[in-house]
Amino acid sequence: MSDRDSPTDATADSGRPDGADESQPDAVDGEGSVSRPADERPPYVESTIIMTTVRVIAPFVLTLGLFVMFHGASSAGGGFQGGVIAATTVVMLGFAFGIEPIASRLRNEHLALLVLSGVGTFLVVGLGGYLVGDNFLQVSEYETLFHHGSKYSIELVEVGIGVVVSGVITSLFFLLGTGIDAADAADPDTDSEEDR
Amino acid sequence: MSLSVPVAVVLLFMLGSALAAAVIRDVVGSIVAFAGYSFGVAVLWALLRAPDVALTEAAVGAGITTVLFLLTLARTTVTRSDRFEGISLRSGLAVVAIVVTVGATVPALPAVGDPSAPILAGDVSQYYLTNAYDQTGVTNVVTAVLVGYRGFDTLGEVAVVFAAGIAMLLVLRREAFV
Repeated sequence: MSDRDSPTDATADSGRPDGADESQPDAVDGEGSVSRPADERPPYVESTIIMTTVRVIAPFVLTLGLFVMFHGASSAGGGFQGGVIAATTVVMLGFAFGIEPIASRLRNEHLALLVLSGVGTFLVVGLGGYLVGDNFLQVSEYETLFHHGSKYSIELVEVGIGVVVSGVITSLFFLLGTGIDAADAADPDTDSEEDR
Repeated sequence: MSLSVPVAVVLLFMLGSALAAAVIRDVVGSIVAFAGYSFGVAVLWALLRAPDVALTEAAVGAGITTVLFLLTLARTTVTRSDRFEGISLRSGLAVVAIVVTVGATVPALPAVGDPSAPILAGDVSQYYLTNAYDQTGVTNVVTAVLVGYRGFDTLGEVAVVFAAGIAMLLVLRREAFV
C-alpha cells in the first residue's frame, strides 16, 4: 500500500533497476513479489512489423467478430464468442501501439455505459415479451409483430451479449494493462486520499 | 470406442501441454503451455463437431485468458532458479488418485456418436432439434436454446459478466496494493 511512497523503496528503484528482488523489502528470498513498480515493468517497444501487421489484420478481426456476433442465429457463434473476438481488436491495438495511448481514448465510465447498454438491450427485449405475449423473454411472440420477428429479437439479444462481453474484456485489459499508473498520472491526489 | 487418429493426436498434445503447464517453473512458459492446452481443447471440440464451444474455447481460453495472464505477470517480479517444478510425493499421489477416480467413470460413458446415447435419444434433445426452427425461426439450435428456450439462464450469465466487470472496475481502480 504505502510501499511505493516509502523513501527506501524509491531510492532502491532508481538506483538498482536490475536488482528487482532486492528492491522489494517484503519479498521472500528468490520468490519475487507481486508488486512490481511501474518503472521496472517491461516497457512498450515500438515495432514496425507488429504495427504494420496489426494495422492490416485488425479490420478483418473486427469484421469476423461482428460476423460471429450478428450471424450467431444461422451459423456457429453468438454474442459471447463474437464479443470476445471483437474485443481482441482492442487487445491487438494495445500491444501494437501501447496500452496507455489506446486506453486514454476510452474512459472507464464510457466502457461501463457500453456494458450497461448491452444489459439494457437484453432486458428491453425480455420486457417486450410482456407487450407482445404473456411472458418475460417470450421471443417467439415477436413473430406476430413482423416477419422473422423472433429471429431478429434473438439476434438483438446476441448483439447485447456481445456488447457486454467485449466491453468487460476491454475494460479488464485496460485496467490490468495500465492500472493505477494511468490514474496516478492523471490525478495523483484522488488516489492518495483514497488510501487513507 | 474407435478413436480416430486426429483426436488421438490432439489428446496427446493436450496431455503434453497440460503436463508442461504444471511442471515448468518459468511462469511465462507455463502460461504459453496453458494456452496451447486451451488450443488443443478448442481443436478437440471442433473435431467433435461442437463449433460453438470450439469458438468460445479458442477465443476465451487460448486468447483472452493468456493475454490477461501475461498482463498480470508483467506487474509481478519473480526470480527463479530451477527449470522445473519439484513434484512432491504427496501431490503426485493426489494427482494419481484423482486420475484413477475420474478415469474409472469413463467406461460408463456412451461411445462418441453412439445413436442410443441419452443426449441424442433423449426426449429433450429431440424436442429442441425438431421444433427449434419452427418455434424460434433460428437455424442454429445452440442459439435457439441459449436465447429462445433458456433465455432466462442467459440473462443470468450476462448479469454475472456485467457484475464481474463492474466489480473489477471498482476494485482495480483503487488498487492500493500496487
